[in-house]
This record gives sequence, C-alpha cells and structure tokens, in this order.
Amino acid sequence: MGTLGRAIYTVGNWIRGSGQALDRVGSLLQGSYRLEEHLSRHRTLMSVFDKSPLVDKDVFVAPGASVIGDVQIGKGSSIWYGCVLRGDVNNISVGSGTNIQDNSLVHVAKTNLGGKELPTTIGDNVTIGHSAVIHGCTVEDEAFVGMGATLLDGVVVEKHAMVAAGSLVRENTRIPSGEVWGGNPAKFMRKLTDEEIAYISKSAENYINLAHIHAAENSKSFEEIEVERALRKKYARKDEDYDSMLGIVRETPAELILPDNVLPEKTTTRVPTTHY
Amino acid sequence: MATSLARISRRCVTPSLSSNLIRRYFAAEAVAVATTEAPKPKSEVTPSPDRAKWDYRGQRQIIPLGQWLPKVAVDAYVAPNVVLAGQVTVWDGSSVWNGAVLRGDLNKITLGFCSNVQERCVVHAAWSSPTGLPAETLIDRYVTVGAYSLLRSCTIEPECIIGQHSILMEGSLVETRSILEAGSVVPPGRRIPSGELWGGNPARFIRALTNEETLEIPKLAVAINHLSGDYFSEFLPYSTVYLEVEKFKKSLGIAV
Repeated sequence: MGTLGRAIYTVGNWIRGSGQALDRVGSLLQGSYRLEEHLSRHRTLMSVFDKSPLVDKDVFVAPGASVIGDVQIGKGSSIWYGCVLRGDVNNISVGSGTNIQDNSLVHVAKTNLGGKELPTTIGDNVTIGHSAVIHGCTVEDEAFVGMGATLLDGVVVEKHAMVAAGSLVRENTRIPSGEVWGGNPAKFMRKLTDEEIAYISKSAENYINLAHIHAAENSKSFEEIEVERALRKKYARKDEDYDSMLGIVRETPAELILPDNVLPEKTTTRVPTTHY
Repeated sequence: MATSLARISRRCVTPSLSSNLIRRYFAAEAVAVATTEAPKPKSEVTPSPDRAKWDYRGQRQIIPLGQWLPKVAVDAYVAPNVVLAGQVTVWDGSSVWNGAVLRGDLNKITLGFCSNVQERCVVHAAWSSPTGLPAETLIDRYVTVGAYSLLRSCTIEPECIIGQHSILMEGSLVETRSILEAGSVVPPGRRIPSGELWGGNPARFIRALTNEETLEIPKLAVAINHLSGDYFSEFLPYSTVYLEVEKFKKSLGIAV
C-alpha cells in the first residue's frame, strides 16, 4: 500500500506540474495584459522616519487598517477594518476601551486656518462610528461620535456628549457635556437622557468584547484557518431558520461557538437610540 | 545584471561600522524628541513584542466568526479590498465594490439578487433595532447603494437607489422603487414610502417619482451588474501569488 500511495502522490505532482505549465502558456497568450499578483505590501503599523506607533498588546488593529506615525493606543481599544490613523505631522493618542469603527479617518493637518497644529486626543471608552473623519480634535472620555460625522480642526467633544450621525462639526466648536449636536453645520439638538449616557459606556464595553473575537479570528495562522474550514464543512447543517420552523435545534462544535455576550439574544437591556 | 547589481548594493547597505554609528545617533535623537515633546499617555501602554506590523497575507476578504461563514454566490463580484465578516450573504449577480466593509458580526446582512454595494460603504447590523423588528440588514433585489454610504440595521426593499454618501440608521425602511438623494441621512426608524424621492439631512420628502424614473431603477442595477462582470473576469479563480513567493524563496536560497 505504501507504493500505491507513493504512485498516487507522484501522479498528483505531475498533474499539478502540468497545471502550472498550462498557467505559463496562458500567461504567454495574454502577453502584456497578463495579470501578475503580488504579495500584499500593506503595512498595518507603519512608522514615518522616527515616529512609530505605540500600540498596547490588548488592542485589536484590523490587518487592513493603517496606523501610521506617532500614534498611541491604550489597552482594550479597537481599530476596525479600513481605518486610517495618520499621526505623521502631530501625535494621536487614543485611550483605553475606545473603538474606532470601520473606514474612519483620524488625522492632523499640517496647515490650519488658525495657524495651529493640534494633536488629536481621544479619551477612554469613546465610540467613534463608522466612516467618521476626526481631524485635529479632542474627544473626551465616554463620548459618542455618530457614524459619518466629520469633526474639523480644534473641535472639543466633552465627556458624555454625542455627535449625531452625518453631522459636520465646524472648526473650534465645543460640544458641551450631555448634549446631542448634529446637522451641517452642527448645532445643538437636544440633551441626552441618563439612559442614553449609560448606553454609551455599555456600547463601548460591548465593542471591547467584539474586538477580542475579531482579533482572535484575524490573527489565525493558515493551518488554523484550514482546520476550521474542514470543521465547518463537516458540521454543515441546514440553515438555522429552516430548522427552527421544524423545531429542531442542532449542536455546534465547541470550537465554532462564539462567547455569550456577543449573540444578540443574550442582551436584555433595550437599546435606546437618538430620536429626531 | 540588474539583479546582481541590486544584490551587491543591498549587501553594502547591511550593517557596517559607520551605519551602526548613524543608527545610534538617530536613536539618541529619537529618545530626546520623545521625552521632550510627546505627551505622556494617561495609562501605561504596554506594547506586545510579537505584534506583526506587516502581514504578507494582507487583509483577508472573508472572515468567518464562529460558525458563521460569509457566503458569496458564484457569479457575484466582491472586490479584493472588501471585508465580509460574520453572517453575510451576497446573492447571485450582486457586487460589492472596493473598500466596502460588510460586518455581520452582531446580526445578519443580506445583499439581494443583482444589487450592488458601491465603493467604501460600511454595512453593519446593530444588536437590536429601535422599531423592535429583527435588526438584520436586508438589501433586497435590484438595489443600488451608492458610494460611501453607511447602512446600519436597515431594510431596503426591492428596486431602490440609495444615493452616494447617504446614512441609513437603525430600523429605517426604504420601500420599493424609491430613490434617496446623495448625502441624505435617514433617522432611526424612518420609513421612506414607495415611489418617492427623498433627500437631505434629516431626509425629507422632495417629490414623487415619475413612471419613467421608476422603470430606470432596475436598469441601473442591471447595468452595474454587467460592469461587475468585466471586473469578475479580471480575476482568476485562485490567486497566483505563489509564483512570487517561490521567486522570493529562490532568491533567499530557501528550498521551494
């Protein structure tokens, strides 16, 4: 049986070799329009000359994100997919437990209408929504920047303040504690209720847990990914919705179960949101 | 010729006595700069020595979380920049363009037949919706979601156009055959009625759509579907990066 296995292995090698040769023939036919794939040169943590990022070991930085230059990120924070934190001209410091969600940009300008170069300081337990643009601002602890918001130079978002989604906050605006500002240009909208203030810190905490899961998944090695793929195929079941109509509950293997606090059924508190 | 020149020059640049001195000088200068200018962090930041600054694999496109694996139909075009995480289903004929992030980690995200999510969008689903309905993000068939949009736990019914840079918040419902102008912000729980044009921040009624305009909506989705077919045919089913890896390994003398 050893020789049979050996023979099959050799035949497999021949087939792969012919496949590669065919690939070369096809590339020849394509000529100058040939697609050449390259290894990714994307640098997640990039230093600009002597300014290098200082990122705590507990932080989740998505591989596709860019943390460039003089950036400090405290423990438990998360930088999600597609973010760019550019600390090239001045420094950016992000506190602990803060989450900067997908596709956001945190930056400082070299030239400013007021003439000052401001560092960007983001405090602890801050939630910065998707695609936000933070440019030379100070965001204090437990603030909430809604998704798509644009915060221009010198803006100060005080503790427990909220910037509504899609708003444009003009230069040097100060958003006082406990208020919701929104619109273009951002104006005072209403005051935050205590429930909503509690929700901000709860949401930051939820994101810390979510970040751990994403961090674990993104740092898997090739072998681990392949093993899980095989596991998933082995335990592939009909869709959960289909099963639930029939009253069937199937078991999933332990490796494929997410921690409790992430699944939506487990949250018992009603989530308040801003009302317009 | 060029490669041997490159190899010789690379060998010259590797550590020699003079470059060690230069490196030590820069290091001293960096320390001086750090202690005088950078503000101290409030809490101590302890970096991990084995955090990878650079991964040759880049960002993975499909990120399974637990037992949830993002499902992409065979003829759907998903750009290599895109991140699909968690419970995401991209149905037939649809396309997800460059830089989009579809994060179905808290709830389900569905992209229907022949729909498209254009560049740099972020589609997310919250834990729960203020309307009390299931907080999954459902983008039905023939929907065009314009570039830079942010969708969070919203439901978009068949044949809609969402303008570029628009923001749809939790629980919002865009009914069939309606168009949202570019830059519109739809507040949580807002319903955009069928056959109307809405826009602004917050989204307000602008006018009703004429029949001709309504007929154009699925045509736009189909046109983008055709365009995505061109992009789809640009990519081979499996990457040929291994050729470059083999070249590197050979140049470094590692057994292939």
